[in-house]
Amino acid sequence: MMDGGLIQPGGQESERTAGVRIEPGRSYGFFTDTTLCIGCKACEVACKEWNGLPADGEMRLTGHSYDNTGALGAETWRHVGFVERMDKRPGEMKPFQSDWIMFSDVCKHCDPAPCLEACPTGAIYRSEFDTVVVQQDICNGCSYCVPACPFGVVEVSKADGKAHKCTLCHDRMKGGLEPACAKSCPTDSIQFGVVEELIERAERRVEALHEAGQDQAYLYGAPGTPGANAGIDRLNAFFLLTERPEVHGLPAAPTRPAARARPSFLSGLATVAGLAAVALIVGVGGRR
Amino acid sequence: MKDTPTYHDRPALKPSGFDVRVAAYVAILGTAGAAQLLALLADREDPDDREGIAQGGRALGLAGALLGSVVLIGHLKTPKRWYNMLRILRPQSPMSWGSWLLTGFGGASFLAWLADSIGWRRGARMAQVPAGIAGAGVATYTASLLAATSNPLWSAAPGPLAAQFGASSMAGGASALALLQRRAGRVRSAQQLEDIARLALIAEWVAMQATEGRWRKEGVAQPIQEGTPALLEQGGGKALGMLAPLVLGAIGRPGLASAAILAGGALMRLAVLRAGDASAQRPRDSLHFARQRRP
Repeated sequence: MMDGGLIQPGGQESERTAGVRIEPGRSYGFFTDTTLCIGCKACEVACKEWNGLPADGEMRLTGHSYDNTGALGAETWRHVGFVERMDKRPGEMKPFQSDWIMFSDVCKHCDPAPCLEACPTGAIYRSEFDTVVVQQDICNGCSYCVPACPFGVVEVSKADGKAHKCTLCHDRMKGGLEPACAKSCPTDSIQFGVVEELIERAERRVEALHEAGQDQAYLYGAPGTPGANAGIDRLNAFFLLTERPEVHGLPAAPTRPAARARPSFLSGLATVAGLAAVALIVGVGGRR
Repeated sequence: MKDTPTYHDRPALKPSGFDVRVAAYVAILGTAGAAQLLALLADREDPDDREGIAQGGRALGLAGALLGSVVLIGHLKTPKRWYNMLRILRPQSPMSWGSWLLTGFGGASFLAWLADSIGWRRGARMAQVPAGIAGAGVATYTASLLAATSNPLWSAAPGPLAAQFGASSMAGGASALALLQRRAGRVRSAQQLEDIARLALIAEWVAMQATEGRWRKEGVAQPIQEGTPALLEQGGGKALGMLAPLVLGAIGRPGLASAAILAGGALMRLAVLRAGDASAQRPRDSLHFARQRRP
């Protein structure tokens, strides 16, 4: 049967762990809720374990709160950030961990995806689950996806010379399994599901937080919200934040790089054509 | 911009890792492409210089395409898979068009050179047309490639930066041809080419002012105003590439002036590449720049 291994006796495991069936042709993503994150880094560990990713180099302490991972990269596809607020006293704090903010960052699986639009080999493609994946057998390490990414996510590995980033556990999804980070998250700060359903759920969560007194909660990356308001339609992995995006190193209004390609090229060609006309007037080895 | 928060001052973007080889490629293909375009425009009825400029353009085009390809493939982190560049054509990706433009440019330049070397003049002229047109493309697409990224410095001024690169390419192409013409003793056409190069330098200077103005306005100019990029830009791109050629031309050293234009153009490209990678690692710049893009 042409089910791609997705049909299992007793249903898919994802239906039991995430309450969602995984079927090709639908959009899947993550809803990451910073108000629920406790900074346990189970997502980082589960991601490294499942994807067989090596350590990021030598063990070192950054001094940046409990963040000793540093950044997303070729070998780190989930990264938990820690921001400690020292400026408020107990009693002045808003509810829901507003003074020690933990945030599990990941590839946003943008739509449209700047890395994919930059990729000249077709190694980066949009999968049957509407995720953005690098095909390791095609990537030739040209590195153009790296500056294209508005979030500093994708990186070319020094070990193998190919671009790497989160695949939304493409292999697990093929087998009907929820991605490793979401499955391991003990507080459901990371939720996996169909993007449209996740957005609805996230909007309800924002309302509930507002009612509970956390009036700064907002979505980042849902259509029309910060992160998806200046050329990128939506981030299939989106977030609930309570601070400005920059506090987490996120751009408030990332743009679509490909939109600049044609205007720039036309400007360059017009200049060259103008100078060619000047050359004809001056003469290029002209008649006497 | 001072009040833009960051995450522990950590970079919010990654540098491209485009190194000196990419800058060399941009300069080589700019020069070769513009030389082929000028060769296409060359007047072949000139009694002093029947086919000189056209032949020079073909030689520069072929050599540039070969050398440029080698340099560019060397820059890939998995060079043995270079041919995957020709696996697809992606209209959104300047690197994809660039791969095809380079292939077309190299192919047409080779055909023009081959036809000429077997004495088939008509064939050489026919192949010169696509070579010259593709030459205009390879002389300028590299700026679009930088503009179509999320790098603050590269993407802040898409139009002016492309005009700057295009004009620099025309100055380089005319200078390279002028050097060949001088060597062959064809002084009059060399002087014309040197005039064209000087006019292109003026256009480049104007475009550069526009680019730098936009960088300052967007608050991303710092990386090109300090350290190595500043030295490359001010000392290389401007002093060596623009001022020195005018002085050398005026004191009767046209050959040195042409060489200075070529070297200065290459250093200007290197300055922009290096400053861009520095720009990506300045979170306050990149996050402020992104915030200004709000609708």
